[in-house]
Amino acid sequence: MEPLAPHEKIFVDSDIVDDENHGEIACHECHGGNPDDPNWKTAHKGVVKDPTYPDATAACGDCHDEINENYQKSLHVSLRPYKLIIDKRASSNTVIRNKIGCAMNTHCSECHASCGQCHISRPNSVEGGFLDGHLFQKKPPMQEVCTACHGSRIQKEYLGEHEGLLPSIHKKKYMKCDKCHTGEEMHGNGKEYADRYDVENGPKCVDCHKEIYKREAKNVITHRIHKEKASCHVCHSQPYNNCSACHVGKDKQGLAFFKTKSSWVDFKIGLNPLKSEKRPEKFVTLRHVPADKRTFDFYVKDALSNFDTLPTWKLATPHNIRLKTTQNASCNACHGNESLFLLEKDVEDNEKGANKNVIVPVNLIPKKQKWQPK
Amino acid sequence: MKYFRVLAMAVAFCLAIFLSNTFICHAYEDTQCFKCHTSAKKLIEITREIAKTRPALKSAETAGEG
Repeated sequence: MEPLAPHEKIFVDSDIVDDENHGEIACHECHGGNPDDPNWKTAHKGVVKDPTYPDATAACGDCHDEINENYQKSLHVSLRPYKLIIDKRASSNTVIRNKIGCAMNTHCSECHASCGQCHISRPNSVEGGFLDGHLFQKKPPMQEVCTACHGSRIQKEYLGEHEGLLPSIHKKKYMKCDKCHTGEEMHGNGKEYADRYDVENGPKCVDCHKEIYKREAKNVITHRIHKEKASCHVCHSQPYNNCSACHVGKDKQGLAFFKTKSSWVDFKIGLNPLKSEKRPEKFVTLRHVPADKRTFDFYVKDALSNFDTLPTWKLATPHNIRLKTTQNASCNACHGNESLFLLEKDVEDNEKGANKNVIVPVNLIPKKQKWQPK
Repeated sequence: MKYFRVLAMAVAFCLAIFLSNTFICHAYEDTQCFKCHTSAKKLIEITREIAKTRPALKSAETAGEG
């Protein structure tokens, strides 16, 4: 996303005084600084750019008390799953763990949301700047906020930006992110989740598609047969983005950087690594994430000595849903079609151990069907 | 007389509301923050001044999709 010009980032729309909820709050009440000083250099002493992070209590808590109470446990703010995943893969050596913590503070901690970075400005990770002259946005705009961060995967999938692939059917129906991902989900409910798929009020396809298992529904037989066998995405996703080997470091000037080895569009069905009552399906779509044993080599060698404890092919819910896809064109478009499944030969040798629980043994690939539903 | 008194009270009430709103808006708009941050011209001048002294914040070595 093209960053805003420096002056655009901080230009305040004078219409803010007409905001019945926020218009009477003076700038310095949230941001600090000296509102009477005509010298901008001294006036900005002590100014806080984002007074809503890490603690939004002073800026937002008086009025939005319930949201503020849960805010810091929201995954968009806490980034807890990332930390837990690195923790699981990391060496148990305390010195090494401290160095990983240092690297994460430099490279990973910047990628978080805050009240301000969703409702007032673009996220810091895309260089910030007011969304609309500091006017408060009840619903964050999709392309300037949500896909500003979730760009390489969600944006490209949802908008159909991968060559030869179509946008999600939900995009064609003019649905924005907040149609499925509600404010309640974004703000958190006070519980600390270990994985985004555990979030209780996260979206489920059946929230809208309530009728698919009912007798009178179209394709009811197909849906009932596959109900606990395959996730919705297995049949209704198009190929999606995968990437590999993220390495972090600092350049000669001491500026932090990251590099990924490659990214590619692919579609792979694997065994469900997060099988639970909520997600009982045997087969799910898997995405290769840029996890790598040597991610932190710049800071410390052998940092992720327990790398194999978690798969690098992770459960994915690609955002490029279509009613008709290549793999659901007929039963045998999928059944017996080895190329759709994550087989041992598809996994790099140094990642075979990490992915042993998600690789599909050839004998588990559904056999070709002689019978076809009408 | 009675009607006149009610009318006078209503006018006084409306005036009080109007003046208090006006006062709040003026108090808000009179700050240096507001004057500067609502002027594109001033912001362009200041941000150009800052850009001359501020070093690069992003490494040119960053490559790939995040």
